[in-house]
Amino acid sequence: MNNQRKGRDININMACSKSNLNIGIPRAISYYNNYPFYYGFFSKLGIEIILSDKTTTETINNGSKYVVSDTCLPIKVFVGHVINLLDKGCEKIFIPSIQSTDYKINNCSKIRGLPEIIRNVLDKPFQIIEPTLDKTEGIGLKTFCFDIAKEFGITDKNLIESAISYGWNIYNKFCEMTKSGIPQQEALKNAINENIIKKNVELVRPISVVIMAHGYNLFDERISLNLINKLEKMGVKVFTSLNITRNEAINSIHELGEIQYWANELDLTGTAAYYMLNKKVDGIIALSAFGCGPDSLMVDEIQYHAKERNMPMLHLTIDEHTGEAGFITRIEAFIDMLIRSKRKLLQKQHNNLKILREPKKTIEKNKVLTDSLA
Amino acid sequence: MANAEVLQLNRFSRMDDTISAENRIIAWPRMGRIDIPLKALLLSLGAKIVIPPANSNKALELGVKNSIEGICLPYKLNLANYIMALENGANTLMMFQAPGSCRLGNYTKMAQKTLKSMGYKFDMVVFDMYKSKMKQTLQAFWHVTRCINPWRYYKGFSLGFNKFFAIDEAEKLLFYTRPREIHKGEAEKYYNKWLKIIDETNSVWGAKQLCRKIRKDFKKIAIDKNRSVPVVYLLGEFFVLLDPYVNQNIEKKLGDMGVEVRRQIMFSEWLEHVLKPSLFYRKESHRERCVRYAKKYMKRAIGGEAIETIGDTVYAARHGVDGVIHIMPFSCMPEIVSQNILSKVSKEENIPVLSLVLDEQTGEAGYITRIEAFIDLVKRRKSKLKKKKEI
Repeated sequence: MNNQRKGRDININMACSKSNLNIGIPRAISYYNNYPFYYGFFSKLGIEIILSDKTTTETINNGSKYVVSDTCLPIKVFVGHVINLLDKGCEKIFIPSIQSTDYKINNCSKIRGLPEIIRNVLDKPFQIIEPTLDKTEGIGLKTFCFDIAKEFGITDKNLIESAISYGWNIYNKFCEMTKSGIPQQEALKNAINENIIKKNVELVRPISVVIMAHGYNLFDERISLNLINKLEKMGVKVFTSLNITRNEAINSIHELGEIQYWANELDLTGTAAYYMLNKKVDGIIALSAFGCGPDSLMVDEIQYHAKERNMPMLHLTIDEHTGEAGFITRIEAFIDMLIRSKRKLLQKQHNNLKILREPKKTIEKNKVLTDSLA
Repeated sequence: MANAEVLQLNRFSRMDDTISAENRIIAWPRMGRIDIPLKALLLSLGAKIVIPPANSNKALELGVKNSIEGICLPYKLNLANYIMALENGANTLMMFQAPGSCRLGNYTKMAQKTLKSMGYKFDMVVFDMYKSKMKQTLQAFWHVTRCINPWRYYKGFSLGFNKFFAIDEAEKLLFYTRPREIHKGEAEKYYNKWLKIIDETNSVWGAKQLCRKIRKDFKKIAIDKNRSVPVVYLLGEFFVLLDPYVNQNIEKKLGDMGVEVRRQIMFSEWLEHVLKPSLFYRKESHRERCVRYAKKYMKRAIGGEAIETIGDTVYAARHGVDGVIHIMPFSCMPEIVSQNILSKVSKEENIPVLSLVLDEQTGEAGYITRIEAFIDLVKRRKSKLKKKKEI
């Protein structure tokens, strides 16, 4: 019972007339980027959302039992969340198959095949709500949403369309807040209550880094081992993919001379490229799951460009066995190196303290830190 | 929006043009036997070519050294092929790609960057095999050769296609004959002889006769028709299936164990399906058959050969095949999905499945042990089923 209450902490005060309609949404993969939209859409349709609990080690262990060992960590976590929802008594579970987000811009095969994996791996009776979003084949968001509504017997066109626009409304609020620098969870909480909060006075921090990672890796506190908080405690300003707009990310990729290939490339290459090109950060941290196909290419791409521009970079690989101690050591070493090189740079450039109030963020002779630091 | 403009172009085809057509020396990555037909095609278009040495330990070492750790095995070998070709004097590299499949679509982009940073100068010609296939393929070959004689195109493509068919025909016959032959090694000899003849054939008429001649010739091999031979389907990732170095010649190993292999992906069939305009391609393609059979387990294609793997396994189970061997390179994204699904298919359709993951560290001894154990299981199961039928 306690678990159930915890899971529903976000979606309170929903006066739904048809309370027998409910849907389980696993707190993994597309949850971290798209949940505001899902929330708006489902709540307008009068469907109650049951969220799975936050990721724990148990979730990962549960998930790993069902899939082959080569599968990457986020998918194992996803399976764990689905099991968690089934334990809560959920009968309908929302597992979208996001194939491509633009013409010939496809997602990773494992995300495309999520419903296929779940359907075949879990031998339990439940219904999967599995809409497809495939813009290469011309299946857009509208069809995606209509497919969902159909599963609940809702065919009222006007209602569905208003639900879509309400979803966008909440999603935009979420994006507006995250762009101004509000942390993801806080922004999510306020967005679904239709609030917009403004950020208080920003603390000036000496060092800033950008993290290039998928939302489902970075904002999941168990998977990322609370990376953002750890960095902020060290006095580092952290930029993530949520801090920039879609267009900025796309343009930065073009500016680097690359083409977007993966659907979630904006979260990684786009974000890193934006901050690298605008020289807003002192270093790049790449966080990727072991065995991740797209990441292996995107991180390499950024590594190549970072080397050219003398931008320090740290590549962190995580899997279910990653120990926290070794993880912290690597981050600390990286941050120490950033601080030292920045201090050196400033000392070299200016001899008076006046400049230190507004440090010019130009980076020159830094050493490129590669994976070999550990 | 700037984005829309970019989308207008075909973002994934790339045709560098720094070298004039008469100075071009063309090379392409190796995969199994595709060098024979491609050689015929390019030579009849009047191009100069370099064929990099076949995949070997040396090539793999070179590839591993120059690529990142996380990338899959086919890329490492492709890169090594490029390097070896450039060392041997090539200056134009050709490759096809299919965006939306898997990491394959990114190979050329990465290879180009790596090779440039290694200091090579070359042109890269990449054509997209996803949509608008024949048109772009022709365009790419026109780009590298600047040949405007339609007869030469006809000759080249006809030679190429017929050689593909002939090679696959010879392979199929080899798979059938090898476990049944009375004198060990005879089928292999015939196969090698025919590969040489296929390579040397230089007329369209001669190429068209090849298939018939091969069929006739293979009948000369003495075989024991009454021998009980279990049939095993071989399926999985495209490159690994087709390249005998990467899969450590699994077909020969299985054949020598007395098993008839039926490899499900044949390059000629795939090529015909991809390149032929749908107007002329009336029969049900391999992929369509797979989609039909896989329906119970997979509702959508997810890139790569995942749906083929599932569809073929179901097909095998329903058509009395004794076992399925599924091979894939380490960290192959689509095949991990199919590996996850296969265990359920195996249980529900009642067919033994062996999944083999290959990478540069695969040792031969462990590999053979697993195959042997699996074949023992298949044979025992077959004889048990036979006894049951007799009773």
